[in-house]
Amino acid sequence: MTVSVYVPVALSVLVAVISRLMAARLSPTRGTVIAVVGAAVLCAAGTTWALVLLALTLLGFTQLAVHEATERGVVLLQPVPGVVGVLAALALVFGLVRVVRVARARWATRRELRELCRSCAPGELAVVPVAEPHAFAVPGRPGKVLVTQGLLALLDGKERRVVLAHERAHLTGRHHGLRATAEVCAAVNPMLVLVREAVAFLVERNADEHAATVSGSREVAARALSKAALAEATERKHAVLGFIACSVTARVAALHEAPPRPGRLLPGGFVVLGLGTTIAAVQATMAFYRLIHWLWLS
Amino acid sequence: MRKSARISSRRGAGELESEVLAALWAARRPLTTAAVQGAVDSELAYNTVQTILARLYEKGLVERSAEGRRHLYRPIKGAEELAAEQMQALLHRGPNRQSVLQRFATSLSEEDAEALRAMLKLRRRRR
Repeated sequence: MTVSVYVPVALSVLVAVISRLMAARLSPTRGTVIAVVGAAVLCAAGTTWALVLLALTLLGFTQLAVHEATERGVVLLQPVPGVVGVLAALALVFGLVRVVRVARARWATRRELRELCRSCAPGELAVVPVAEPHAFAVPGRPGKVLVTQGLLALLDGKERRVVLAHERAHLTGRHHGLRATAEVCAAVNPMLVLVREAVAFLVERNADEHAATVSGSREVAARALSKAALAEATERKHAVLGFIACSVTARVAALHEAPPRPGRLLPGGFVVLGLGTTIAAVQATMAFYRLIHWLWLS
Repeated sequence: MRKSARISSRRGAGELESEVLAALWAARRPLTTAAVQGAVDSELAYNTVQTILARLYEKGLVERSAEGRRHLYRPIKGAEELAAEQMQALLHRGPNRQSVLQRFATSLSEEDAEALRAMLKLRRRRR
């Protein structure tokens, strides 16, 4: 337990760093996104469980075990220090608070979006007479694409097709769910914030590629994206940057290149790392169980 | 290349309806069928555009007026002011709430904007 309980934490750091470094190089297929989100879920679950086990040591197992060991003349491998247990308990509470905060923010925005959709015309597309250029997909049954009149007026017919296809790709690919999952994982385990940003980027790239295919031209897709981003940049005084800054620039650059070839190796690697945290968590649990068994049942 | 061309010509009726509606909103003035055709995609058949406009009219999404022998189409604006207000409110929420909105384009830093502008200009010149 003393080693395996810390493995999920180490593996989460690894997954976070790799997703940060590789986000731009991964082929943005739906499979890739699911693999990365899956790894995040496994890492979040693994670390949470490891924290639970560490926090449980606060209940006095350590002292009891040390006492028993000296009495029976057994040498224990470093028991968990008390301070680690306290830190683990604090981290659990902190994670819980963050999850609640994320859930409430999401819920509030979803409700507002649904109200907004109710005051719009029926159908797949709703245009809102706002001058600022914005477009987003609102999930639901059926989902809806919201676009401002300002953005539509800025683009030509083919570029408008790109925007619509991009937003539709978010809806059909259920990207909201994938992003929400990654966000909850990042709330549970702050190291996974990098993974959350990588997922956000990959999902946008996935929709970009879809839009490029539908419009039949990567050039047009890149132009539509550049125009929309520039218009939004001049509109907003203060820029809120994600962790993968310049993501729009990276997306435009990717569209100017040849379509990415699907790769299996990297997404597979993510899943393997995620499974590593699960295995470590299971091992730690077994060690914990053995300790309890040794203390009370033998 | 061939594959993408095939996909683009196979757009569904719903997708075309959205494109036509978007073109009408973008124009900010009533359009004739021919003008809609030009604004959406000049490769689209005139009859197709006409059919889609008729369907949008039946659905109550566009209104039309007669001008001589032609029809002029414009989008019907429903609870537009309420929708605009709600959207403005949403857009001015803090970054926490913003993460839920899946924006088409997230904001840029000044250097990125400069790089993007240069890229656009370069491409335009090359064409």
